[in-house]
Amino acid sequence: MTCAKVKKSLPLLAGNDLPARKAWRLVAHIDGCPLCRKELDEYRAALGQVKAAAREEGVEDWSDPEWKGLLARITAEKAEKRRPVPGFRPRWAMASGLATVILLAALTLVFRNSIFRPEGTAPAPGPEVVSVTMVSQETGLQVVWFLNKNFEWKGDKK
Amino acid sequence: MRMNETEKELVEMVLSGRSEAFEPLVTPYRQPLLAIAYRLTRDLEEAKEVAQEALLRAYKYLGRYDTSRSFRNWLFQIAANEARDRLRRRKREANAAEEAGRESARSQDSDSGRRSREFRSDLENCLSVLSPREREVFVLRDLEDLDIKETAGALGISSISVRVHLSSARRKIRDVIVAKYPHLQEGS
Repeated sequence: MTCAKVKKSLPLLAGNDLPARKAWRLVAHIDGCPLCRKELDEYRAALGQVKAAAREEGVEDWSDPEWKGLLARITAEKAEKRRPVPGFRPRWAMASGLATVILLAALTLVFRNSIFRPEGTAPAPGPEVVSVTMVSQETGLQVVWFLNKNFEWKGDKK
Repeated sequence: MRMNETEKELVEMVLSGRSEAFEPLVTPYRQPLLAIAYRLTRDLEEAKEVAQEALLRAYKYLGRYDTSRSFRNWLFQIAANEARDRLRRRKREANAAEEAGRESARSQDSDSGRRSREFRSDLENCLSVLSPREREVFVLRDLEDLDIKETAGALGISSISVRVHLSSARRKIRDVIVAKYPHLQEGS
């Protein structure tokens, strides 16, 4: 392990925040490396100093009347009602259910012939001729196109 | 740290309308909550406001609280978010004031501002070099003794992110102490 690699992990090692195996590997290097040892000692000393300063400084607590008054004010507010279990939303559940039914129905229609056809039978023939009717709203004129199953034009009728 | 049964019952009681159960629910965190708020804001009055807001939100939105999480971490997370928002606001206001008139800001500085700055502790000097996120991570892990996982839970970030910020925070603090307070290093 190189010094550069060890130095990257020294801040976490100083606060015992590394997994045991990694810490052990680092310590093995540090034991034989005075420069890394010095840096680790600096981190530990710095952390110790800051923690000691924080302890010394302390933080004032609420006075009892202050605390009681605060809680009285807070509990006078109206709390929000409990929300449903995260992840469960009735609207979403209904919409997903409906979408699934529609999807299943569509798939059934599409694969109806191949699924429900008895083995060995040929699929039902589709229509030979398809007609498309267009009606003009202004004149009332109707045009009917006839196409075969390959959508090739076969004639029209007015 | 998962939620214990007593806390779960107290939460249920509050949610069912028995607001008196809120006090035993939050009282164990009365001092730690204020301490965290203070370490993040470095101002006792502001810390009290942060803690008060955190408690108010915890009460108001208790219905949204996921009981599979630790109540303490949830409460600390609310406080950390509130402190972060306030610090951001304070910074914006300070920038605006600076732009509005550097001279006037300087004259105010010579009164109350400078006086309070003179009394800023060594601890504040160390913490002031940290970014808001580094400060949160450092305060929770190193000053309030939460472990990495609890810190991640309280801040709503991953353990990896906590490690990255913690590493950077400790490096900065060590650099400050080595540079500004060599006597502290020698004395350790």
